Amino acid sequence: MATPQAGARRYGPGRYAVLTAYLVLAVMMLVPFAIVLLNAIKTPREYSTNGPLALPEGVYLDGLIDFWQRVDYGEKLLNSVLISGSVAVLAVVLSVLNAYALGIGRVKGRMWILVLFLMANTLPQEALVYPLYYLAKQVGLYDTRLSVIIVFTCIQTAFGTYLLSSVLSGFPREILEAARIDGANRLQVLLRVVVPVSRPTLSVLLVFFFIWTWNEFLIPLVFLVSNETQTVSVALGVLQGQRLMDATMTSASALLGVLPTIAFFVIFQRTLTRGITVGAIK
Amino acid sequence: MLKVRKVAAALAALAAAATTLAGCGSDGGSDPNVLRLWHYEGPDSAMGVAWNEAIKEFERTHPGVKVKFEEKGFEQIQKTAPMVLNSKDAPDLMEYNKGNATAGLLSKQGLLTDLTAEVTKRGWDKLIPAGVQVTAKYDAKGVMGGDKWFGVPNYAEYVQVYYNKDLFAEHDVKVPTTFDELVAAMDAFVAKGVTPLTNAGSEYMAQQFVYQLALSKADRAWVDAYQRYTGKVDFKDPAWTYGVTTFADWVKKGYIAKTSVGAKAEDAGVAFMQGKYPMMFSGSWWFGRVAAEADFEWDTFVWPGSKMTLGSGGNLWVVPQGSKNKQLAYDFIDITMKKQIQNALGNAGGIPVAADSSAITNPKAKKLIDDFNRLADGDGLAYYPDWPVAGFYDTWVSEVQKLMNGSATPDRVLGNLQKAYDEGLPK
Repeated sequence: MATPQAGARRYGPGRYAVLTAYLVLAVMMLVPFAIVLLNAIKTPREYSTNGPLALPEGVYLDGLIDFWQRVDYGEKLLNSVLISGSVAVLAVVLSVLNAYALGIGRVKGRMWILVLFLMANTLPQEALVYPLYYLAKQVGLYDTRLSVIIVFTCIQTAFGTYLLSSVLSGFPREILEAARIDGANRLQVLLRVVVPVSRPTLSVLLVFFFIWTWNEFLIPLVFLVSNETQTVSVALGVLQGQRLMDATMTSASALLGVLPTIAFFVIFQRTLTRGITVGAIK
Repeated sequence: MLKVRKVAAALAALAAAATTLAGCGSDGGSDPNVLRLWHYEGPDSAMGVAWNEAIKEFERTHPGVKVKFEEKGFEQIQKTAPMVLNSKDAPDLMEYNKGNATAGLLSKQGLLTDLTAEVTKRGWDKLIPAGVQVTAKYDAKGVMGGDKWFGVPNYAEYVQVYYNKDLFAEHDVKVPTTFDELVAAMDAFVAKGVTPLTNAGSEYMAQQFVYQLALSKADRAWVDAYQRYTGKVDFKDPAWTYGVTTFADWVKKGYIAKTSVGAKAEDAGVAFMQGKYPMMFSGSWWFGRVAAEADFEWDTFVWPGSKMTLGSGGNLWVVPQGSKNKQLAYDFIDITMKKQIQNALGNAGGIPVAADSSAITNPKAKKLIDDFNRLADGDGLAYYPDWPVAGFYDTWVSEVQKLMNGSATPDRVLGNLQKAYDEGLPK
């Protein structure tokens, strides 16, 4: 093969192939959203006469408004923010405390403790639902938001502990020793040294926990029985009929359902791209 | 970084608020002046409209009592009903799916109140046709058609042919009244390059053709043996053999498109409403939607040449064993059985069980109800093919798909159905 010139290499067919591949991928990712958007603003009659792919004849917002009122969407949003927010904060706090002991404190048998956490992570939620339901009923927390917060705090903490422990076990010992020599006790080391240094990792965890909890469906479905405690993802299920589906209203609800997650993602996009393993010495 | 910290602080505040809020979460609902009611019918559906009116009527006749209605999703009720009913958060009255695997199972587990005394006292058994009662009564094993009432159906449903009058006129085809005319009409459409029947191979529509064809060669004893285990079921008998071979033949002849093997019921219904197919064989649950959304002239007829067709009582009102206001729940059921509410249900496109036919003003709805009453009076409700054993629906879908693809012979398909049926029979 002839040695290609620098210019030819920059604009060679390979680059265009990659660009095209990315474009195709981007379109494939966006098409479902486009279809949802398209059908969310159609009238049911238009949908039935022209099919799901036709362009809407005009903007029809009644589907969105009807759905909002039908499920009292504002209340559901508040519940979701409350549950996801509490879980994110509590799970990060617990994860840090656990990981501090396991990653830096070098507890005896920590390997096995971590394996246990990992195993807890791989358990499917379907297997957990019935025992959790039974426990919640016994302590009188069935059908309360608190029960879901507790359950998800534990589930997310299991993952957070596992991840943070590995990150913190690589924490530079010199910094810790320097702090000790300066007279800091264990709590001060944690709060003044470990937490500030690993804050980027913690923020990423916080964001992840929030979004993961937001998208959870099965456990909230089982635990949040009353409509006034339900989350957004459970409320979306109301539209699923026995035999018929209301395609336009389902699209409208899907649109309302993803908007908060997209908004949240846009706000925290910088935090996320900072990467999960950042957090070394300054 | 600063932003993140601020947001984290806000979230922490929320977390604190959550614990206080969650603590005082929902009350158990033991207020004697509140009727907690759940159902999963959309607000615009016939049942949704009628029951909304029933709520108003109930609050008018019960001063001081409030109805706390919560709309649920079908899926949510299906998945969580046994758990909810087993807790102190059970509603006072709810809609639940009829059938052995649903209401039957809950009745066997003791989660539903036996309504027999109430039914006779209030005369609901006189209002509901015998064929519709079957799905409301269960025996000790939870098999339908038993002796105890565990639910009360407010409406009924059946499967019929919807046809597009414009397409029949355009292609100069006569609307069939007998089975032979139906076949002739389908031949005429195929000759013009039009597929006569819309179909959904991956959902209930395809198996319902097979069952309907078999029903045209069957009698009540055959249906009872199949649905209620009153006798031995042989899938190689003439009725089943006729149903399966005729269906395979229809696919070959182009009455049913082979390409519909992967289609969903929603696709099939939308294709019919777009005017792509002249006929759709499906349930009365489409009635309201076709009426609202189809842009052409249409009407319905019952499957010709068969005394029996697919249909049954609708979903049930059930009173959970843990209901704290059973008396109010019975009163509410009673109101939904009253002429006024039943007529509202009929005029909105549903099939009421105890309406006054002369009070139905919409001519299409009147025909729908009259056709149903004729079927019910002639003992013509044969339920649905997937009912008898758990998980049978999926077997039906995959076997009928094989039949459409030609990847299994009718004989083989019948053998597989027999096997799944025998294995699934309640012991």
